[in-house]
Amino acid sequence: MEIINNLALGISVAFTLENLMYCALGVTIGMFIGVIPGVGHLAAISMLLPLTYYVPATTALVMLAGIYYGAQYGGSTAAILLNLPGTPSSSVICLDGYPMSKNGRAGVALFMTTIASFVGSFITVIVLAAFAPPLANFAVAFNSADYFAMMLLGLVAAAILVQGSPAKGLAAVVFGLMLGMVGTDVSTGIQRYTFGLTFLYDGINIVAIAMGIFGVTEVIANVGKVAQIKNDQKITFRSLLPTKRDVKDSVFPILRGTGIGTGIGILPGTGTSIGSFIAYALEKRISKDPSKFGKGAIEGITAPESANNAAAQSAFIPTLTLGIPGDAVMALMLGALLIHGITPGPNVISDNPDLFWGLVVSFLIGNLLLLILNIPMVGLWVRLLKIPYPILYPAIILFIVIGVYSINYANMDIMLVAMFGVIGCVLLILGFEPAPLLLGYILGPMMEENFRRAMLISRGDLMVFLERPVSATFFALIALFLCWSIYSAIKQRRSPVEGEL
Amino acid sequence: MINIKSLFVGSASVSLIVAGNVALANEFQGPVRIVVPFAPGGTSDILARYIAPELSEAIGQPVIVENKAGAGGNIGADYVAKANPNGHTLLLSDLTALLAAPSVLDNVAYDIESDLSPVTMVSYSPYVLGMSQQHNFESFDDLVEYSRNNPGDIAVATSGVGANNHITTERLIQDLGLDWTVIAYRGGSDATRAVVSGESDMLLNGTTASLPFVLNDQMNALAVTGEERLEELPDTPTFRELGLPGELDGTYQGILVTAGSPPEVVERLQKELADILATEDLQAKIAQQGGQARPSETSAQLQEWMTEQMAELTEFIAGSDIKQ
Repeated sequence: MEIINNLALGISVAFTLENLMYCALGVTIGMFIGVIPGVGHLAAISMLLPLTYYVPATTALVMLAGIYYGAQYGGSTAAILLNLPGTPSSSVICLDGYPMSKNGRAGVALFMTTIASFVGSFITVIVLAAFAPPLANFAVAFNSADYFAMMLLGLVAAAILVQGSPAKGLAAVVFGLMLGMVGTDVSTGIQRYTFGLTFLYDGINIVAIAMGIFGVTEVIANVGKVAQIKNDQKITFRSLLPTKRDVKDSVFPILRGTGIGTGIGILPGTGTSIGSFIAYALEKRISKDPSKFGKGAIEGITAPESANNAAAQSAFIPTLTLGIPGDAVMALMLGALLIHGITPGPNVISDNPDLFWGLVVSFLIGNLLLLILNIPMVGLWVRLLKIPYPILYPAIILFIVIGVYSINYANMDIMLVAMFGVIGCVLLILGFEPAPLLLGYILGPMMEENFRRAMLISRGDLMVFLERPVSATFFALIALFLCWSIYSAIKQRRSPVEGEL
Repeated sequence: MINIKSLFVGSASVSLIVAGNVALANEFQGPVRIVVPFAPGGTSDILARYIAPELSEAIGQPVIVENKAGAGGNIGADYVAKANPNGHTLLLSDLTALLAAPSVLDNVAYDIESDLSPVTMVSYSPYVLGMSQQHNFESFDDLVEYSRNNPGDIAVATSGVGANNHITTERLIQDLGLDWTVIAYRGGSDATRAVVSGESDMLLNGTTASLPFVLNDQMNALAVTGEERLEELPDTPTFRELGLPGELDGTYQGILVTAGSPPEVVERLQKELADILATEDLQAKIAQQGGQARPSETSAQLQEWMTEQMAELTEFIAGSDIKQ
């Protein structure tokens, strides 16, 4: 019953007035940061870092962590309402969230993503409380071959994201892979496609790509369109509530999404985006009617939304239990610990149980607060759609510019976002889709890096991918997946009508 | 929402304005910025955040820490190099990274020797040679012997191509004439992860990152850089004790300023920073980060050190495999 004692300790820490206040402050800021397109939690957390000097380490971390997972809640709001992902990980929410909005179901979509976010986070926090150390050891044991196999599975899954022509989908993925190659090659230090421009040495900023090809493109594409979508729709409380069917259709997708998000989130360096893409792909693959995806399928928003929230929570597992941060924000939080005289590492839990368990309980409180904060906001956000385009669109562009600038304080990122807006428009006109492109961009560099590293370590022996159980499992899944696709394609060709059903 | 955003900026800067009393001599007009050319949370960033409030109190002006990360520190350094030369824009960075940059990268937009001028060194952090638990070498000599018998078998993780620990690794390889496979990772914590998991066999890294794993028996420490053994690892010898011919170093952090800044401002900065770094409080904070405070006596002293290092690094990198 150790966990009960631990949680009791956590409750005693988290329920002090100070910690509760900072938790509420953190999640509220996080939620707004998430809603504003492009404004990342990294910028918010680094700006608020100096504030945390004056409070104890636990309190500081409670607030900073709140911003991190709070931002995952807000990210889908603009994706649903305006086809504009608040964070790169909510790009995939655009695919079905925006069509739902066009069908006058924006309120339902917002309501359900909030529920999905909450369930995904909550379950993952409980997993974190129960199994953090063993999970962290599992995550750390993942090596380059395993990462590569997992990324390859993700890339194969990208095929399912494609809504229109498979050839154009493939082209979009390849274009994404090419964009991912820009920058310094990790293995050799050689500059690729940087044209001597220093700002490209670290690659193209992902936020610039995501905001450009989704957000700016959307704005440009709608310029000149007089009709505003469902401008006259009445916002009644009922219209915001999901139907029984919506809830029923979401239960398993949310659980599956949570599983995927948790699993991928604990691996350092994977971020929250991959989980939501894979969760979406899985739902579309196993759906009885894949054709409804892209037209407002509820599973298409609830599964990825629970996945990215689960990933945001499980990213704390290696960070807190081993002191190995998965991304820049996690590294910043460990920096905050260092400032307070706590050296992150494998002994943090045993040396500072109050910190770890206080934080775990604060996650539970924070997620409950986010649920309470978000539900009443749904009606308010939907009203955003009533704002006339001539006012709304310039405001969106302004927020995108502020957001993308806040990441590196780099003027060139603003140019990049504009450029990707234009590229996105060209792609839209030609019928190429942005989602596979983005996935290619995210996975490409990681795949290459891990493949080459695995090869270096095994000294060129390809068998390393089949000798390791984890990577062998992924390869088996890839094989299974490909066979399934071929099989269903053949079946469909034989009886086109049945295949549709 | 613009308000929310400006509120952040506002509160962040307000919190840094510590005791804004009027300074006695007025070299400083308006806020001073410490640019950290790396992401928040790293060594340089934390040092800057320790120093900022103290410096602010000393000069009677707000001191703001600004992160301008990218291109291995060169974006932030370039920014300071091209800033208004009034001594109000400081660069706090890993010095070796900047000194090695012209030899490692193709297009460095500024010249560290003519566009930036030194103020003071801040600290020195030794490296620990951390060995994966896959091997149970008793000593550094065991590692060397194994490496000689199994050429190419030992994989050494680095924080990236041209990173400081990459250069130190190559020095070790050259000094001992060994055949190691050098594997670049995406940053220090990724490299640490790789050694803890056993994917790579060893790495040289700062004590803050490695000590917790050594003390938890997830890594073996075989040697440390620097002049003395570490307090926490009394049984681990220094490379010097092991009789290595070359100089194996850790990381040096220092503060530079835009070249052409008024000498009296630079001098005042150097003096104030030396005082700050001499306080017990700051030394303890730096020690906790695995470093040793090393303020320069004069900015000329740092200038001399940098010129020497630069020449040495340029020659070494040109004759090594670091740049492919």
